[in-house]
Amino acid sequence: MASAAAKAPSRSEVFSLFRSLLRTARDFSDYNMREYMKRRTIDAFRSNGGLSDPQSVSAAYADGKLQLEVAKRQAIVYSLYAPKVKSVMELKRLKSSFLFME
Amino acid sequence: MAMRAAILRHIKVPVRSQALAGLRSREWNLSGGALVRFMSSHDEHLTKEEVMERVLSVVKSFPKVDPSTVTPDVHFQKDLGLDSLDNVEIVMALEEEFKLEIPDLEADKIDSTRLAIEYIYNHPMAG
Repeated sequence: MASAAAKAPSRSEVFSLFRSLLRTARDFSDYNMREYMKRRTIDAFRSNGGLSDPQSVSAAYADGKLQLEVAKRQAIVYSLYAPKVKSVMELKRLKSSFLFME
Repeated sequence: MAMRAAILRHIKVPVRSQALAGLRSREWNLSGGALVRFMSSHDEHLTKEEVMERVLSVVKSFPKVDPSTVTPDVHFQKDLGLDSLDNVEIVMALEEEFKLEIPDLEADKIDSTRLAIEYIYNHPMAG
């Protein structure tokens, strides 16, 4: 833990964490969770973009790593309670057939 | 007239079940089509034009991008004024559009629409 906090992550490690978080966001079965996690990830990386002090960079990185583990677990838990119907936001392609049925 | 009515009464067809059967057979056809599509990986390769069109539409729909500035050869950061995080986001959006998983090393190199189109067009699994 102490060694992890001392060393600031490289640029590619940060991008890799960003990608992993966005990929994990896709794994949620629930539309709202999927979109929330994507938004949350992007907002967090943006708000921490100005960090320059190595200490706070590595702290933010370590926090991101922890959040990634949490998200991976939660994606599995959510998949056990997946919504039976899709969100209306996911039905882009079906819209025309719905109109047809009316 | 009376006979016609009598005959009609006898040959009445249950419309509901017919319609349902029609629906069901269509569903079956659809899933059959999906199955065939799933098994084929090489016969229906995307054309360059299709790849280009879909890449451009993904980039244009990115919130920070002015759609009128997007051409088949723009650099995401130099020409569209995006930053490195936006770049990653666009590549991730392209992955979703073409149902790909681009490895980090490759994804880092994709920094313009030209490279994105080239990479996806040469990818055997792009769909």
